[in-house]
Amino acid sequence: MSMPASLAIVQPKFETKELKAGFGTTWVLKGIDLKIPPNRVTAVMGPSGCGKTTFVRCLNRLHELTPGAVVEGQALLDGEDVYDKRADPVAVRRRIGMVFQKPNPFPTMTIYHNVVAGLTLNGERDKKKLDHAVEHSLRGAYLWDEVKSKLTSSGASLSGGQQQRLCIARALAVEPEVILMDEPCSALDPTATAKIEELITQLKKDYTIIIVTHNLQQASRVADYTAFFYLGKLVEFDETAKLFENPKEELTERYITGKFG
Amino acid sequence: MDTKSSLSNNYRRRHASDRLMTGLIYVALILAITPLVLIIGDVVVLGGSQINLDFLTKLPVPVGVSGGGIGNAIEGSAIIVGMATLIAVPVGVGAGIYFSEWPESRLSYLSSFMNDVLAEFPSITLGIFVYIIIVLTTRTFSAVSGAFALAIIMIPIVARTTEESLKIVPVSLREASLALGIPRWKTVIRIVISTGRSGLATGILLAVARATGETAPLLFTAFGSSYYFGGNLFSPIAALPLLIYTDGISAYPQLQAVAWGAAMVLVGFMLILNLTVKLLIGRRFAGVRAEI
Amino acid sequence: MPRLMDMGLDQLNSLLLDMATLSQQAVTSSIEAYSRGVKATEVRQMSNRLQVLNRQVSDLSMEMIARYQPVATDLRFLKACMEISYGFFRYGRYALDITQVLDMIGDLGKCDRTFVVDTARKTQEMIRLSSEAFARRDVEMARRVPSMDDAVDQSYRENLRKTLQGKGNLKCSMSSALILRYLERIADHAAYIAESVEYIATGIEPMK
Repeated sequence: MSMPASLAIVQPKFETKELKAGFGTTWVLKGIDLKIPPNRVTAVMGPSGCGKTTFVRCLNRLHELTPGAVVEGQALLDGEDVYDKRADPVAVRRRIGMVFQKPNPFPTMTIYHNVVAGLTLNGERDKKKLDHAVEHSLRGAYLWDEVKSKLTSSGASLSGGQQQRLCIARALAVEPEVILMDEPCSALDPTATAKIEELITQLKKDYTIIIVTHNLQQASRVADYTAFFYLGKLVEFDETAKLFENPKEELTERYITGKFG
Repeated sequence: MDTKSSLSNNYRRRHASDRLMTGLIYVALILAITPLVLIIGDVVVLGGSQINLDFLTKLPVPVGVSGGGIGNAIEGSAIIVGMATLIAVPVGVGAGIYFSEWPESRLSYLSSFMNDVLAEFPSITLGIFVYIIIVLTTRTFSAVSGAFALAIIMIPIVARTTEESLKIVPVSLREASLALGIPRWKTVIRIVISTGRSGLATGILLAVARATGETAPLLFTAFGSSYYFGGNLFSPIAALPLLIYTDGISAYPQLQAVAWGAAMVLVGFMLILNLTVKLLIGRRFAGVRAEI
Repeated sequence: MPRLMDMGLDQLNSLLLDMATLSQQAVTSSIEAYSRGVKATEVRQMSNRLQVLNRQVSDLSMEMIARYQPVATDLRFLKACMEISYGFFRYGRYALDITQVLDMIGDLGKCDRTFVVDTARKTQEMIRLSSEAFARRDVEMARRVPSMDDAVDQSYRENLRKTLQGKGNLKCSMSSALILRYLERIADHAAYIAESVEYIATGIEPMK
């Protein structure tokens, strides 16, 4: 499987080598070799059950927390394997942020505390630092203006789209290098979706973004690079425009034109 | 003309059977509530006249003497139930956390099953068990043994409600916390427990209500007394259910009246606890609703 | 399992096939009119009809793009549709132009028409090949067409050079020059249509 030409010289932010993952005796991911470019949006798409969510959850070592989960292979973040024996999963997860399909702000915390939960629960007490982090992260998530006057109200009092941006701010506050997004807009209405897509294209300036989506149009709008997974294997990986206009693999063609059974 | 159109087909017959069924259900409802209403009615009517400040604070007096009260029984119950709660809450909540957060281990599965069995155990056998273990070895009835017996009754309730309350906390909240780089134990304590805390509180209050009313185990452990608590946890102590029992079966109308008064205090306490639980549940669902 | 947009794609396909037949006929009629000196009044109607069909194809393609966000082969097909339909429309227009030249200039009985008719045959062969290649999505067949364009180009230029030398009957040289010009344009469009067939299949647009 060939690499897009434009990535030949770039040092990947994340590189997986023969990454396998599954539950018990069933492999969901069957050996993925993928190079994720830095400061770009990479979409991972494919039909249900293709392993795209499992793949992304392997990157921040979330997959292994499910009982019965198994992982093999390597996932190199800036060249260092996150699955190395000496690697600390908690430290790995601090460098990688994650936004989930359904917005999940902590219901017992205020907006303020939600944003800095990653900092306060790891011991940060300096009020000035926290205040700064709150404003900076909420601005970064395009939410500051809407909530700056109600930072002490509950995180659950916001609309769906705002809650998702709150979760993004929460992820940003920890200052990760990579942000994983698992179908972040699938529970949101079109307006909220549009806001978040715009946010994503801004965020890539400072972060590497990997977004799982089953929505072809979203991938084609938002992603610079797209990887197509099928039945646990990487079928094709290329610049989004090229993949959507003239895919190299017939399987890809059949999937994106809707000719799958 | 009485035509049967497709819209009015059988309406009259169905309406009648509908009303019949509704009527039957109302009857069932009344039958179900009646015992409770009668009991509360009895307690209020027969015990209400006993209640005054003296009754709640004075010691019991012998038959024939006027005045007196159940102050020591109230105090004794408070002490025993208080101690039992201090034992049962850490153990029960701890067990509940384990069942909820580590459900995949075999130990968890076995213990959870045993927990359910213990919850249904006849309380009198628990009383005898504590009698043998503590009362016989210490050679005395005591508040401590009473507290132990009640604790054994409370632990399964607390453990089960804790487990249920924590299981309701959505997995995605745990994952969100873990994904932020927060270690698992902190996630459990700061996020999971915090989110399920009203459920936890509910469970503890229900266990307290249950323990306060338990009589059989106390027969062999606390034993009862006519005096206030004297400072020695290893001597017999009064309790409301015990007092209701001994005074209730006595032949003297004066003592029987005291029993009704004590019953009213007990029932009143239970009602207040249950109302508190209701209020807490109301608030808990307010928080969960936003999640859905 | 048919997709939502398959109905629209089928409709576009049949519109284009209709246009192929119609435009081919128009060109044939106009060449017939030239070589035998007869009137070809039906060509005007054909050309107008082709214009209407071209508009229909264009509208339908745009609607498909807006509604179904097509990708890959579908998207390339829709882009090519519009170019191909324009090509057929131009066939009709040039056929009409040829008949108008005949109307204006009048009787050409005295002219030697073999050269132009020869070139016309080559052009008609290109039309036939490219239309069939499109109907069958036959890339091999389509690849044969662009090279035939050179022959037609050459004929046009050769004749132009001869005409500039000033010899011969003015009516004859004018009509030849103009008609060859139209034939050369028709041939160009046939070549574009053939290249579109390759583009739909492979996504490769040959350098023009």
